[in-house]
This record gives sequence, C-alpha cells and structure tokens, in this order.
Amino acid sequence: MEKLDIKNQSKKGILKTLGTMFKWMGNLWPLLIVAFIFLFIVSYVRTLLPLFGQHIIDVILGFSDGGTKLPAYIARYIVADTLVKELIIAAGMILILAIFRAIFIFLRRWISAHFGENIGYRLRNKLYRKIQNADYYFHSHSETGDLIQRCTSDVDAYRRFVAERIVEVARLLLLVGLSIWQMSKLNTDLTLISLVLAPVILLVATVYFKKVKKEFALIEQNEANMTTHVQENVSGSRVVKAFANELYEVKKFKNLNRKFTDSDYKLIKKMAFFWSSTDFISFMQYCLIAVFGIIYASRGVISLGTYITFLAYAGNIIWPMRQLGRVVGDFSKTTVAVNRLEHIIDNKDEYDDSEPNSKPKILGHVKFKNVTFKFDDSNKHQLVNVDFNVEAGETVAIIGKTGSGKSTLMKLLVRILDYQEGDVFIDSTSIKDIEKHYLRSNVGIILQEPFLFSKTVEENIGIADKEVQTDRVENVAKIAKVHDDIVNFEKGYKTLVGERGVTLSGGQKQRVAIARMLLKPKPILIFDDSLSAVDTETDIQIRRALKKEWKKSTVFIITHRITTAKEADKIIVLEDGNIKETGTHDELIKIDGLYNNIWKIQSRIDFQLEDGEDNE
Amino acid sequence: MNDHLHDEESFTSQKIDWNVWKKILVFMKPLKKYAIFAIIFMILLATTDVVYPLISKFAIDDIIRPNMNGADADLSKLAVFIALYIGFMIIQAVSVFMFILFAGKIQTELAYNIRKEAFHHLQELPFSYYDRTRVGWIMARMTSDSRNLSELFSWGLIDLTWGFALMIILVVVMFIINWLLALVVIVLVPVMALVSIFFRKYILKAHRQIRKINSKITGAYNEGITGAMTTKTLVLEDNNYNDFDDLTGDMRVRSIRAAMIQGLYFPTMLFLITLGVALVYVVGGNLVFQLTISVGTLYLFISYVWQFFEPVNELAMLYANFQQAQASAERIVSLIETEADISDSPEVIEKYGTLFDYKLENFEEIIGDVKFDNVSFKYNIGEQVLTDFKLDVRAGQSIALVGHTGAGKTTIVNLICRFYEPTNGKILIDGKDYKNRSMGWLHSNLGYVLQDPHLFSGNVMENIRYGKLTATDDECVAAAKAVEAHEFIMKFEKGYDTECGEGGSRLSVGQKQLISFARAILSDPKILVLDEATSSVDTETEQVIQVAINKLLEGRTSFIVAHRLSTIVHSDRILVLDKGKVIEEGTHRELIKKSGAYHKLYTNQYSEEMLELSIR
Repeated sequence: MEKLDIKNQSKKGILKTLGTMFKWMGNLWPLLIVAFIFLFIVSYVRTLLPLFGQHIIDVILGFSDGGTKLPAYIARYIVADTLVKELIIAAGMILILAIFRAIFIFLRRWISAHFGENIGYRLRNKLYRKIQNADYYFHSHSETGDLIQRCTSDVDAYRRFVAERIVEVARLLLLVGLSIWQMSKLNTDLTLISLVLAPVILLVATVYFKKVKKEFALIEQNEANMTTHVQENVSGSRVVKAFANELYEVKKFKNLNRKFTDSDYKLIKKMAFFWSSTDFISFMQYCLIAVFGIIYASRGVISLGTYITFLAYAGNIIWPMRQLGRVVGDFSKTTVAVNRLEHIIDNKDEYDDSEPNSKPKILGHVKFKNVTFKFDDSNKHQLVNVDFNVEAGETVAIIGKTGSGKSTLMKLLVRILDYQEGDVFIDSTSIKDIEKHYLRSNVGIILQEPFLFSKTVEENIGIADKEVQTDRVENVAKIAKVHDDIVNFEKGYKTLVGERGVTLSGGQKQRVAIARMLLKPKPILIFDDSLSAVDTETDIQIRRALKKEWKKSTVFIITHRITTAKEADKIIVLEDGNIKETGTHDELIKIDGLYNNIWKIQSRIDFQLEDGEDNE
Repeated sequence: MNDHLHDEESFTSQKIDWNVWKKILVFMKPLKKYAIFAIIFMILLATTDVVYPLISKFAIDDIIRPNMNGADADLSKLAVFIALYIGFMIIQAVSVFMFILFAGKIQTELAYNIRKEAFHHLQELPFSYYDRTRVGWIMARMTSDSRNLSELFSWGLIDLTWGFALMIILVVVMFIINWLLALVVIVLVPVMALVSIFFRKYILKAHRQIRKINSKITGAYNEGITGAMTTKTLVLEDNNYNDFDDLTGDMRVRSIRAAMIQGLYFPTMLFLITLGVALVYVVGGNLVFQLTISVGTLYLFISYVWQFFEPVNELAMLYANFQQAQASAERIVSLIETEADISDSPEVIEKYGTLFDYKLENFEEIIGDVKFDNVSFKYNIGEQVLTDFKLDVRAGQSIALVGHTGAGKTTIVNLICRFYEPTNGKILIDGKDYKNRSMGWLHSNLGYVLQDPHLFSGNVMENIRYGKLTATDDECVAAAKAVEAHEFIMKFEKGYDTECGEGGSRLSVGQKQLISFARAILSDPKILVLDEATSSVDTETEQVIQVAINKLLEGRTSFIVAHRLSTIVHSDRILVLDKGKVIEEGTHRELIKKSGAYHKLYTNQYSEEMLELSIR
C-alpha cells in the first residue's frame, strides 16, 4: 500500500488553506465574530484595571496633582467627602468591572465551546460519511491507522486552531494593542521603550517553535519504533519464547528505549535554554521600563501612579509574546492537518448526483458482455473481454489461480469496482443504470475475509434489519451451520464479537457473515471464496441448505475446491483475466486444460493413498 | 472470556493508596539527586519571584518618593536598583535553566526505568498472561501510564515545590512587612484553594468521560474503515452513520459541558483575586493615608495578591493529576507484580541460569524423547482439557494430532512448549521431568511454527536469523534454500533485504509461512512443533509448502497439529483425539483399516480427496 502523498498539497498557499479552514466553519462563523466582540470587551475592561491604581495613588491618596487617567465616565463616580469612602467606591467599581469581565469571559468561552464543538462534530460526521462513501480504490490505497489519525488528531488540530488558537491570537493581539493604546495616552517615550525588546521575544519564540517541530518529529519516530517493538514482542510472544530470544528482545528494547529517552531529553535541553533565555529578555524589558520610569517619575515627567500603571501594562505586552510565537510556529502544523483532511473531504464519493436512481425488479439473469477492466493505477488488464451468460437460479462456480481476476469479476457485479469496457446486464438492464444501494441490496456478496462489527453475534447477524426477530436470526444461523457453534459459546447469541469479546475462528466468521447475508432474500448471491475456512463437509451442508431455501436465486461461488465446482450448473475457469473454459465438471475434465490440471494436482495427494479403495 | 480481561476502568479508585506509591517511589531512588537539585533551584526561583516586587518597592519608596518634592532628581540609588535587578535576573534565568534540565532528566529517566522494568518483566511472564491480556492494555502501560507517572514525578514535583515555597515565602514576607494587609490577602487563599479543588475535580471527571467517548469514536472510525467493504455489500451506510452520529453528538454535549465548567472556573478565580486587590486598595489605602505604610508597600501587596493565583491554581491541578496518576500507578504496579505462574525453580536457575543469562556449559545435549506421564490439565478458567494423558514418543518420530476443535490438540502443543504446565503428572524429556531443566534449555532445543506465522518488522534476513541469532548470512540463505523459500525471496527487488512490514504485513500468507519454516530450520531444533495452517493458499503454493514441511520434519521429534492430508499420511503416528483422550492411534494405513473414528473423520474432513478418488 502506498502512503498518501501530502507533500505536493502542503505546498499550497497559506491563503488557500485559510480559505479552506473558513469554508469548513460553514454557517458557524458568526459565532466567531461574537466571540471576538466579547473578547474586545474583556480585554478593554482588563486594561482599565491598572488605571484604578493610578487613580487611587495619584488622586485619592494625593501623590500627584496631575489628575486621573481613568475615563471620565468612571472617574466621575469616584467622588465622596472622605478618603475612605472614595477608596470604597473605587474598590466597588473594580469589583463591578471584575464581575462584568467575568461574565463576558464566561460568555466568550461558552460561545467558543459551541463554535469549536460544533465544528468538530460536523467535521467528524462528514469524514465518517466520506469514508463510508469512498470507493474501493480509496480504501485499498489507504492505511487504516493513517486514516484514523487524520479523523482524530487532525480534526482536533483543526478544531483547536479555529476555536482556540485563533481566539487566543485575537486575545493576545487585543491585549497588546489596547495596552499600547492606553500606555500611549500616558507617555509616548515610555511606550516606545516598552516595545524595544518585545519583537525580539516574538521572533525568538517563533523561530524556536518552528525549529523544535523537527525535534518533535524525531521523538515521535523514536517512540513509534519503541512501541512497535513492544507491540510485536507482545503479539509474537509465542515466537519469542519458543526461540528463547528473551535476552535479545530485552537488549533490543533497551536500545530503542534509550534512543527515545535521549531524544526526548535533547528537546528538554533546548526547552531549558529557550525558557530561561526568553525569561531573561523579558525581564530585561521590564528592567528597561523600570529604569526609565524611575528617571521620569523622579523628574516629575510622569506621576508615581502612572509609573506603577506602566509596570502593569508592560506585563500585558511582554508575556503574550512567547505565546504568540508559539501559535505562529505551530501554524504550519495546522496547515498540514488541514491538507491531510482535505484529502478525505475532497475525495469523490462513490455515490454522486450522476448516479441513476432506477430500481428495476431483479430476477437473477446475469450477462457479462465483453467486459474489460483494469485498475486506474495499473497498466495491466485484470479482466479482458469477459463474456458469459447465467440464467436465473443457476449456480456458477468460478475457479482460477490467485490473481486470475475471480474476485475482481464479482466485485464488478456489485459495482465495488467499475469496468471500463463492455457491459454487465442483470435482467437486460445495464448495472450502471441501477441505483447502487438498490443493486447491492439485491446482489449479496460475502467476502473472503468478512468483517464483523464489535457487537453481539445476534446483532451482527441481524445487522441489516434492526427489527429482526430472534428466531429469524437463529434460522439463518442454522442454514449457515453456525448455530451450533454459537449456542456453545458461554453467552450464546449474546456473545460479544471482536476486540473486546470472543475471537471467532476464520470459519466461524465466514459462517456468521453468510448468515448475515441470508437475513434478507437476494435474487443474486456471491460467495467470494467465503467458504475457504469452512471444512468441506460443512461447505456442502451449507450449500445444500441454501439451495433448498433459495431455489430461485442465482449463486456465484468462487472456490478452490473441486467438490464445490463439481456440483455447480456451470464452471467458469479464469486465467490471467480471460475465461479459459466454461462448462460442467464432466465436460471440463475431458478437456486438457487448467481445470483438468487443478483437478489432477488436488488428487495427486490421493495417489499416495494406496488404501483409498478400501473406503467405498 | 471478557470478564477476565484487564479492564481500563477497573483501576479508578478514588482513595490514595500509599502502598502503590511506595512501589513507584522505588523507581525514583536512583534519581534522588536530580530531585534534590530540582527542588533547590525551584526554591531559588520562588525567592526571585518574591524579590522582584521588593526591588520595585525600593525604587518607589527610596528613589521616586524622595525626589518627588525636590527640584533636582537624585538618581544615585538607581545603580543599586539596576544591580539588584540584573543580579536577580541572572539568578532567575539560571534557576529556570537548571530546573528544566533536572526535571527533564527525572521525567525521561523515570519513564525509561519504568518501561525497562515492565518490558523485562513481560519477558518472564508465561503465555497464559498473554492469553488473557489484550495487546492494547500492555501498550497503554508502556506509553501513556509511564508518561503520566514520569510527568507527575518531574513537573509535578516542580509545581509542588514552587507552589508551596512561593506561598510560604510570600506569607512570611507579607507578615514581616504588615500583618494587617497580610491577613487581608491570606484570608482569600483558602477560599481560592477550595474553589480550585472543587472545579478541578469536576473538570477531571468531565475529561475522563470525554476521553472515554473519544476512544469509542476512534473505535467507530476503525470499524468504519476496516469494515468499509462489508458495509457497502450490506448497504449499512445509513445505519452506521446514525450510530456514529449518536457518539459524536454525545461527545459534543459533554465537551461543551466540560468547557462550561472550565469557563466558570477561571472567571471565578479571577474575581476572587480582584476582590483581594480591591480589599488591599481599601485597607492599604487607609494605611498609606494614616502613614502606617508607604505607597511602595501598597504596590507590593497589590503585586503579591496576583502572585497567589498561579500557585493555588497549579497545586489544585496537581491534586487532580495526582488522582489521575494513581490509576496509572496502580496499573503499572499490577503489571510489574503479576506473578509468573510458570517459572524455573531456584535450583534450576542455579544450574541453568535465568532467561537472560544462560549457563550454557551446564546445558545437556538433547536426544529428543518426549513422554507424557499421566498428564492432566485444565486452564485457569474452563473445563478439564486433559485427564491422565499418556504418550511416549521416541526421538525422531513424527506425531500427527488430529481431531475436532476443542479435542485438546493445541493444549498438548502448549504443554510441550511449556507455555503452560501440567496441572498433574509430568512431561519427561529424555526421561527427565522438564521442570528440572530450565525454560531456556527447552526452548533452545525446540522449534515452533505457528498456524498464522508471526514475523517481525525488519527485513527477510533478520526474520530468518531470529531462529538463531548468531547465524551468518550464508547460514540464513542455506536455511531459506532448504525450505524452498530462496526462490521467491530472490524474486523480490531487494531480495533478503526486503522489509517484511509490521507483523510481516507486506508478505502473502504463503510467503510468511515459508520464511517461518526457514527460521525454524535454522534453529535446528531436536523437537519441532508445527501448528499447521488452515487458511487456503492456491494449489501451487500449497505444494511448495508441502515439500518444505517434509524437509522440516526430517530427523526431528515432531508434533503436528495437522490439517493437510499429506502431512498426516506422512507422519509416523497419528493420534486421534477426542475430548482430551486418545481414541485411536496408529499409522494412516492401520487406522483406515480400523474403519473407526479416524476413518469417519478422514472421510468427512477430507471428502474432497475422497470424491476425486471416486471419480477416478
């Protein structure tokens, strides 16, 4: 399987990515605007607080006669006949503003949560839909772990960016901007001095967070190597023990563990340098402001209250710089996440508007007419000019080597794959003119390696019909000869299947899958080598029971077994995508062809059994 | 089965279990010196945090205030200010740098030690442990739990030290300067602490729920992707989507709720602090007015109120993390303390060495006789599998075990490999109870080929060499040639350097089998256990495998859980098992003549070949 290539996509412009990010917000973007407005209110109120200090020290306590720096609409209320009363009023105002601010902080967070969680919700659902609707090509070219990672951590990265990071940037910018604005009203020189080192911090932080990304990638790689080793050691514990390689395993793990630990520590060393040096620069900035502030205040250029206020504002500017740098540095991470998600979102659905919606009655006559097929990414034809005709109710065995195109042939019939040339008709309607869901509801295919959901056995069998009765489930389980196995489980039909439950054997899985397919009658049924792990006797029993139940259904069976082929109405022998032979068993063994050959190889085992004739 | 699996949720006790922590603390012992240094630098850092406002107070009271009434500014003390400031800046930067280094060392080394110990112990655990423990469970211990703990003991320790040191120093300094204002500030601290703990608990709980749903969503994606084709064939798209929507909807509701709690927490804390600020302004303003304290002191206390916020917040967070980490600690201790119920006795270890340190000089040459002496066996859970089982096998004999699923074939194999030990009776190898020799001795003389061969990531050569780690390339190639694997390996573009992928995923089943044969033949065991594959491969590969198996068995005592007719026919003795008993025994010819159970099994199971015989 090839890795999905994201390199080319990540070269796309940042603007385009931002556009995509905005597009995915859908109609939720007004929430973001509301959040920004609330943020503005919160930040504005925050920048008022230091001014109270100035007012109390300069005006109420009388350390300066330069007047208040508070906005008039607040200052005018802080008037009383005694100093104590004025202090209490000022403190009361501070508290009122604090409550006001707290309310808006809460509201802002509430809106952001709605915004972010709805975006996450929609995106997750959309991705799920997309994956369900993606075609065979997409699935066969993707790795499960990779897709899951995209649907989980990449969604989180995106959600966090638009719902938290953007807001965070806005908050920091508003805080810095409003603080500068307030400062500039107090004293221009000091404001400029406050800004001398801030850009340096921003720059250092941006560069740092960009650089450590590589380090993170290395750590992740080392950790993955280590966990893969544990994973393989644990799942292969029989092999480890049987070859007595415990010491080797421990040594190997020690190396990987050490490598991961060291790379982790290397990053921490860089972190130590970054945090201590930026701390140093930040305090340098403080020191600058303090020194000039002291000089100005000593010379009476600014009041004492103003000096203290400046110290407070300085913090509003210095500390956000590192965070801003982090967000800027992290941005490319989000771009990558968005591009990786786009790959899924932009993938064309298997069902689209151009699909027909006709639903003709399906009886079971199947006709392949000069069908040719190749995979999009391959030059080799999988099927060439395949041409055959099957009457309703017939049983057809398809036989051939691995890679001869048997499975592909059957996948065409349910349009999991689409042929390029020729046509396939069911009851004289081209299958390309039949609505896909409808087609698949009528043409049942049981895959060789069927997938069972992690639900109970009963739910798995009844999955296609949520209202199904228990006796119906048992009935189909009996036809598929899996009923006896199931009742032998401790919890019978309520046994949980899969990762958290019982592990079924390959044969049991196949039979559950057959039962599941038998739940609803199908005019056409395909066994895509789906009896391979079932023993021959059970195989025969299932096929006979099925024939009794579903007399009218057309049945295709891909098989390796001569016994199965022998009972079919028609045998199709495929080789390299071509039909080599067709006919009944008796006809084909007379021809010196592939079927005859397979038959001979399979019977060679019996040449070794001189006692064979004793048996019958 | 399910009830016996370790469950993630079974470790969520609320009470602090000191016994568990003591066991974890053992891992901290070698890191004690780092911890001491980290604590020292943290206290230093907390001191600088308290000193900065004091320096500013000095500037206000001793530089700015004296100058305010005079005409010429006297800035002679400014140099003192600058010197002090820069001095503490350096102390601070150094402290930050050092504490990150030391905490980082603790974090990475502690995780390293925990993982090392856990992995080491995993190698000693018997196979029964792996039978009842999911791979994912073990993986989580090695990754997230070890990380949780190491972070708690490093950064948690840092936060704890800093938080307490800062608060204590603050309280002391405040009381020294003015006890009344100190009281005003300190009254609020318990309130803040209570609010923090209250909220943190809820936040933790909410996040736990979210993580749970999140893992369900990941599981749903996993099913949606791996089961995509099955979903299509059963037309389950809408069905699955609705189930998925339930999950994501739940996730949205809970995430918003969690955000609400967090959204309330921060403003509440902020309000409390502002309340402190307001109180300090009222009380402190009065004191300034009464000339009890200086204006610099007022500034100092305002700064100190703010400084209480972070330590309280972080200590509350630490408290919550500690509770969470308790579960991690319990799980890791449970892994490390799992007793190996199969292990060598001290006397055996004395003579033969441990699993990791063989005393090869004491290893006896093996002949290969195997004897089951009245062996009874039952798994921890479940029925009696074997009762008084007797079997005597001479060196070089090949034994085919046949019978239905559950007859006891795999159990016998597990006992020979000593993956499990008899509950009663003895297994003798060369006439000596195998418990009297070490596991290392047994496994160095034993080969084991699995039904579903497990390969490791790494190239083909490395995988073959796994059978004998000291083998040269030539020996590996010779082994591959011996089992007919050489030919297909050379067809790979990179030959023996071809990567097998995780678990051998890049190779076909047949290829994996042949490589696992090469691996086994390289180890040149005297006793070979072959758990034959049932999965179908095409007829030609089947033949190659057949030839390879015959070569593999030559000159070895072998036990075969047989599924292939020809393997059975070629074996020296066939044991027909039913419910843990040998019901028939003999060569193929003898058993067929008996017309008993084997005959019936043979005609049923291998009727394919029988039918072909009758055609002839």
